[in-house]
Amino acid sequence: MQETNVLEVRGLRVGLKSGEPAQLLKSIDLSLGRGRVLGIVGESGSGKSLTCSAILGLLDKRAMSVEGSVRLNGRELTDLPGRTLRTIRGKEIGCIMQNPMNAFTPVYTVGSQFVETLRAHSRMSKAQAREQAARSLESVNLPEPDKIMKRYPHQLSGGMLQRVMIAICLCLRPELVIADEPTTALDAVNQLQVLRELERLKTECGTSVLLVSHDLGVIAQMADEVAVMRKGEIVEYADVHRLFDDPRHEYTRMLLQARPRIRKEA
Amino acid sequence: MLQVQEVCYSYGNHRSWLRPRSEKTPVLKQVSFELERGCCLGLLGTSGAGKSTLGRTVLGLQKPDQGQVLFEGRDLYAAGGRIRKTLRRDIQVVFQDCHSSVNPLMTADRIIGEPLRNYERLSARESKRRTGELLEQVGLSADDGNKRPDQFSGGQLQRINIARAIALRPKLIVLDEPVSSLDRVHQSLILDLLAELKASLGVSYLFITHDIQAAMMLCDRVAVMDRGELVHLTDWPASLWDCEQTAVKNLVEAVLPEHPGGRLALL
Repeated sequence: MQETNVLEVRGLRVGLKSGEPAQLLKSIDLSLGRGRVLGIVGESGSGKSLTCSAILGLLDKRAMSVEGSVRLNGRELTDLPGRTLRTIRGKEIGCIMQNPMNAFTPVYTVGSQFVETLRAHSRMSKAQAREQAARSLESVNLPEPDKIMKRYPHQLSGGMLQRVMIAICLCLRPELVIADEPTTALDAVNQLQVLRELERLKTECGTSVLLVSHDLGVIAQMADEVAVMRKGEIVEYADVHRLFDDPRHEYTRMLLQARPRIRKEA
Repeated sequence: MLQVQEVCYSYGNHRSWLRPRSEKTPVLKQVSFELERGCCLGLLGTSGAGKSTLGRTVLGLQKPDQGQVLFEGRDLYAAGGRIRKTLRRDIQVVFQDCHSSVNPLMTADRIIGEPLRNYERLSARESKRRTGELLEQVGLSADDGNKRPDQFSGGQLQRINIARAIALRPKLIVLDEPVSSLDRVHQSLILDLLAELKASLGVSYLFITHDIQAAMMLCDRVAVMDRGELVHLTDWPASLWDCEQTAVKNLVEAVLPEHPGGRLALL
C-alpha cells in the first residue's frame, strides 16, 4: 500500500545552521493518497509553511539543514539537483500561495505569466498556450478571460488572482497541489468560490491536495485527514471526523474550542 | 451621535497628466445611517463593497463628493482647524494590518503615548504611567512598553493598536477588519477584549468586517453593503440568517461548517 501514496514524508527535520542552532521541524511524517486532501492546522509559527517549503525544496540549504525523506510517487526529492526540481515544481507539484499579490510579478500581465508557465513545462506555441490559458480561466468562472489576460496583477482582486493561480494548476494537472493558506486573504464569499475550484481540481484531475490553514472551518469542509502542528511537531494526526468528534491532544481541544461559533439554530 | 447622510464617493476624481482620461468609479452610492452612543454597528460586505471607503469617510480622511457626515451635530468636513482637531480626538481607528499601523522604530510606550503627547501635556513620568495602564487594560504587561513592534506577535500588536485607539477616551472607534489577519485563537481573544472595552468605556464601534460570525459576536446593529450601496440594515443581527436579500444570503451561505459532518455541497 505504501507505493500508492502520492506524497510520503518521513522524518523530515529542518534546523537553522547559522547563529544559535535551532530545530525548526522535529521529525515530520506525512502521507497523502491519490485524490485525497490532507489538512495541516496549527497556530502561526508552528511550522506549517516551513513544511511546505521543505517539501518543495525551496529552503536555502546554506542557512538551513534539511534531513529526512520526501517521496513523490516513490521518487526521492531531497537529493535531486535544482534543475530537476524545477521541472517537477509546477508540473508535478502545483503550488497555491497565501498571498496572490506576491505570487505574481507586478510588471508583467497575468496572461504573459500564465503563458510562460505553460511553455516552461510543455512544448507548445505561444498561440496554443494562450488559447489553453483562456480556456482554463473560463473554467474557473472568471468572466472575459481575454480581458483578464491583458491585465496586470494589481488590476485584479485577490480572489480573482487566486483563481488564476488555480487555473494554472488546472492546466498543468499536477499530481499534488500544495495550498498554503489559499483563502486566508479572501472574504467569505470568495473563499467559498476558491474552495469550489479546489474541489473540482480534486475530482476532475484526481489531484491530491496538501491544504494548510489555520481556519478549522476550511479544514472541516475540505480535508480527509488532518495533522495538527505545534512548535515544529505533529501533535495529532487523524481522520477529520475522528479529530472533530474526539480530539485527543489537549492542544487540538483548545483549537476546537477557540471560538464559540454562532450559527442558526436548526 | 454619528449621522451619515446620503454620502456619495467615487474614485478617479483626480486627473493628472499621467491619467488624463481616468474614469470615475462610484464606490459609495447614497449611503445613510446613524450610530448612537455606546452602540456597535457592524458593516458587512464582500471585498470591494465600499466598507473601508465608508470607514475612511467617517474618520474624516476622505471628503465625500456629496452628502454630509455629522458627528454630534457638527459637520466633520465643514469644521476647520481647532474644532476639527477636537472632533478627531473623539474618533479613533484600528486597521486590519497591525504591522503597517505602527512605526517599527518606536517602542510600544511611544506608539501608545503619541496621541497623549499630541493632545495632553504630560510629564515623561505621567506619560509612562498612563501607557503602562493602557497596556494592562488591553491584556499586556506594563513592562512590554520597552519592546519594539518586531518583538510582538500579530495578536499582541493588535492589542497595542487598540491601546493607542483608547488612549484619549474617544467616543467612536472605527474598527476596519481588526481580526481578519489573525488566527482563530487570537481572533476570539481580541473580540472578547473589544466587547469588554465597549462595556467599560461606553465607546461606540463602527465594526467593518466580512466575517458574519464575528459581527454577530460584537454588534448590536448590522448594516450590509453591496457594491457601494447599503442594502440591508437591522437592529437584530440574528435575523440575518433568514434574510432573503441576495447579498446577505451570499454571505450567510458562505459560512463554512464547524464540523465535517455539515459539509457544504461544493460542486
